[in-house]
Amino acid sequence: MWREIGDREEGKTRPNLFANRIRWNRVAKLQLSNHKDVVSPHRGAINSLQVDLTEGRYLLSGSSDASVAVYDIQRATEFEGGGVIAKHKCLFVVDKNHENGHKYAVSSAIWYPVDTGLFVTGSFDHHINVWDTNTTQVVTNFEMPGKVYKTAMSSLATAHMLIAAGTEDVQVRLCDIASGAFAHTLSGHRDGVMTVEWSTSSEWVLVTGGCDGAIRFWDIRRAGCFLVLDQSQTQLGRRPPILEHSATNKVSSSKSTTVPSSLAKSRAAQRKVANGNSTKQSAIGKISAKGPARQRLHPGMLSTQDRATAHYGAVTGLKVTEDGMYLLSAGSDSRLRLWDVESGRNTLVNFETVRLQTSKPMQLATSQNSSLVFVPCMTTVKAFNMWSGKTSLTFRGHYESVNCCWFSSQDQELYTGGNDRQILVWSPSRLVSDDEGSAQDQDNWSD
Amino acid sequence: MEEEREGVGGGGKVRSLICKATNSTEPEVDPRLLKAIKLVVRYSDSELRLAAHTLMDLMKCDHAQVRYLTLLIIDQLFMRSKLFRNLLVENMDNLLTLSVGFRRTQPLPAPPAIASLLRSKAIEFLEKWNESFGIHYRQLRLGFDYLKNTLRFQFPNLQENVARRQQERSERERRSKEILVNKFETLKENFSSMKDEIQTTIKEIGECLGIVRSGDEPMVLESLDEEDFVEFHSIELRQLRLSTLEEGEKVHENTENKVVFDALRELYKLVMTKHLVSVGEWISVLVRVEVTDNKLRDSILKELIDIRNRLQSVKKKCEEAGCSLSNTGNDNKEEDFWEEGKIECTESGGSLAHQKGNKGFAVASTSSKVKNSGPSCSRKDHGDKKMLGESRRNQSDCLKSKLLADAPVVKWGSYLDNWGSKRDVLANQRGLELEGHWGRVDYDAVIPAEKIAELNIQATVYKEDQVEIQPCGAPLNKGGLCQRRDLRVCPFHGPIVPRDNEGKPLDRDSSKNETTSDSGTDIVERLARQAVKNVRERDKEAERRRVMDKRSLKRAKHAKIKEHNEGCLKDAALTSTSRSAAIGEDMEATNAGNPFARKKKQTLASMLRTKVTPKDRLAQRLLNTRASDATLVQLTLGEDANYREAFPNQW
Repeated sequence: MWREIGDREEGKTRPNLFANRIRWNRVAKLQLSNHKDVVSPHRGAINSLQVDLTEGRYLLSGSSDASVAVYDIQRATEFEGGGVIAKHKCLFVVDKNHENGHKYAVSSAIWYPVDTGLFVTGSFDHHINVWDTNTTQVVTNFEMPGKVYKTAMSSLATAHMLIAAGTEDVQVRLCDIASGAFAHTLSGHRDGVMTVEWSTSSEWVLVTGGCDGAIRFWDIRRAGCFLVLDQSQTQLGRRPPILEHSATNKVSSSKSTTVPSSLAKSRAAQRKVANGNSTKQSAIGKISAKGPARQRLHPGMLSTQDRATAHYGAVTGLKVTEDGMYLLSAGSDSRLRLWDVESGRNTLVNFETVRLQTSKPMQLATSQNSSLVFVPCMTTVKAFNMWSGKTSLTFRGHYESVNCCWFSSQDQELYTGGNDRQILVWSPSRLVSDDEGSAQDQDNWSD
Repeated sequence: MEEEREGVGGGGKVRSLICKATNSTEPEVDPRLLKAIKLVVRYSDSELRLAAHTLMDLMKCDHAQVRYLTLLIIDQLFMRSKLFRNLLVENMDNLLTLSVGFRRTQPLPAPPAIASLLRSKAIEFLEKWNESFGIHYRQLRLGFDYLKNTLRFQFPNLQENVARRQQERSERERRSKEILVNKFETLKENFSSMKDEIQTTIKEIGECLGIVRSGDEPMVLESLDEEDFVEFHSIELRQLRLSTLEEGEKVHENTENKVVFDALRELYKLVMTKHLVSVGEWISVLVRVEVTDNKLRDSILKELIDIRNRLQSVKKKCEEAGCSLSNTGNDNKEEDFWEEGKIECTESGGSLAHQKGNKGFAVASTSSKVKNSGPSCSRKDHGDKKMLGESRRNQSDCLKSKLLADAPVVKWGSYLDNWGSKRDVLANQRGLELEGHWGRVDYDAVIPAEKIAELNIQATVYKEDQVEIQPCGAPLNKGGLCQRRDLRVCPFHGPIVPRDNEGKPLDRDSSKNETTSDSGTDIVERLARQAVKNVRERDKEAERRRVMDKRSLKRAKHAKIKEHNEGCLKDAALTSTSRSAAIGEDMEATNAGNPFARKKKQTLASMLRTKVTPKDRLAQRLLNTRASDATLVQLTLGEDANYREAFPNQW
């Protein structure tokens, strides 16, 4: 620790590297926080958790008892046990008693990505409400044809204000907050849509996963979907970093240098790729060659391609990595798959999931630099190494199934919510173990 | 290196200790083993880790008893070691699942009684842990919260209850203290007025006494002088005299000083009922109260004690002056009672005289009456110096006890109303107007005394006195003694013979061949009876012996087979795993230690077996298909027969 700081002082390590290293160390030491309690006012399962993207301060939770609550996770509302335990009570709750409150379970609650003045909730009562945070009043609402499973807004968008909504209905609808109407209706799925996710690299690209097991990519500027992921189209490992000399992708370079293990792994992957070089090369070549052709035929895509599935059963969770190059998907077949977005292929990373909850949409989270992915596995949350699929951490604490998790990269804290109505905070262990509590925790051998 | 080796070397120790401790059917962990475990674990972290691991493994065992004992050990270590706590809270949900069994997919294992005990204990422990360490372990808080608020388990709330009780007590104390302080305040306010009041009362009493004395004095003095002069020689006589004189001095209430006496009585009553009581109360208040200025309190207390002493002396004086109205407060009632007592006394005296004549009466009359007469006598005696009364009561007591001793006990009934009266009874004088109903009435009709006596003849029903039938007392297979109570022969264990605590017959010979020993003990009768039944009994004996022989043979054979089987099983176990072999050996060793306990010894497996009740056996007998079919056939046959009988002319 001190040596690292010394290195930084002397300029041996670059600032970015230093910060990443510290972050990595902190993430590796995540454990159930004894000093930070989020007091959940919900009387039902927690379905959705999100910390706002602008300040990283306000946590929004949506629950099955049709309530939504906001917490300040930076400043505790009260302390307990002689100042050891910081309790974070909710700042406000919107529940059934509210005049415009949802009638049934809130399945999805997200912040407006630009600021914390608005938030969006989707509910099983077929409605999507847009709320003003300060007045806790509904600004606009959209009526959907069925239960809303998931809502998403693009964090990059500058040109649109669209809420993508996955519902029981086969069509994905984009709701425009500005106009209060449906801007698009995207049809292609053959069953309800469990999960929707905006790309993190392009504001126009939307990914949706349906109960029919398909993951579809949509360019909202065009009609129809342009890519259906097929689990049988595979490639081994990650693509080789395309051009070493033009390493403009800062994130990936810093990652490969910061994380020794991942470095080794990526090397191994490269070796593997080198072994199967010819096929690989050809595959990429084919795709790149295919690019324009696919665009040409997309309105009436080849039916075989259109019927491809990414999972057996429903797709319950989607998460695009920070750089937008990879997509993680979780399915009701208890599998987690990592997809290369560019090639649209399954990378065959074997995640050591045991069992996943199948009936509900789940919310995955990734750590910064996308080195770890946090996945709710029944009553536990597991952190997998994104590239090897190895379990690096297991978080046990919930007494019933976990539905959602959110990683706050600012504090390196993980928030998880489950059917046992609890919101748990997992934070790095404190550097200074200050047992300032009234009663110290010590051995007590009487005999 | 050294330490590591030690850890490895001792690795098995804690594990085997824990295994041994949990492999028992007792409701508690063997304290010696527990102590050993604690000792081992205390000085070595690796052992502690191993212990935690082993305990968690044992919690997964499919037997509630093992889990229960494991949980007890876990609690012991949990309350002591920090490292153990850290290890355990990681798996808190698992532990709770296994001990509380709140997941429907993982219910608690077999013996249900112990499983419920396990659950309640686990909940209790969780509460305790949460109370002591919840602040340091989020997992504990979570588990507690989940069980309490989500699953709504009932926690015993021990801590809270204690706290509540404590609080209640302190509250009560506080309140009583407050009340005391308030009382003290009022006392401070009222003290002077009260003191004045008492003072005046005392003064008035003094005056009254003065008046009474002045009225009586000359005479009394005179008489005293006279007495003094005349009868000086005999001390006894003199004392008697004095006492009578005192008596005489006291009850000098007459028409002239009646008013004074009334006033005196009134004042005395005031002193007794009000002043003394209130002074006592104040004193107790002062003693108990806690105030800042002790000086004031002390001074008041001193004064109050003075007042009390004075009051008491006044009271004594009053009593000496013959104003002994009553020892207890209530004047009016007391007086009534007094009169009544007097009357009763005479009555009882009469009855006493009557008793002498009629022996049975004292006993026959209700005991309450007797008791009544006793105290009333004594009460009267209190009035006149007790002496006489005491002796008389003693006399009556001893007489009564004597009479009681040889009196028959008679059941109470209405005939006791006219016990021993030899009067004729008028038949038609019962207050019922019978005139004109059934013709003329002879009002002088008499039932003669003999008839009455005849009617009053007591009839008693013969009651058999309970005979304690001795239990058979033969030792049973499952331990304990046979509790069947039969007069002569127990259907299972043969004739009933006196046995010792173990259930062995006291004299073996007699039980073995009854004929000889019995004839030895009781020769004449035995011989006579034997002469009649000898042959038959011999036959019976032989028969029984033959059956017994057969049975014992069979039993021996069974035992042999069983032993063989056990041996086979043991061999198999020995070869399968090292640990189980150790356990097997262990059990073998204990068994070898006390061969008698072998049969009875309860094992974990035996706990799982459900007991076969008589009901089960009956059900097995009655509900099997063959039996029910047979019944059905019987019933139909019966019906057929009925039918045929009813319509004999039909086919």
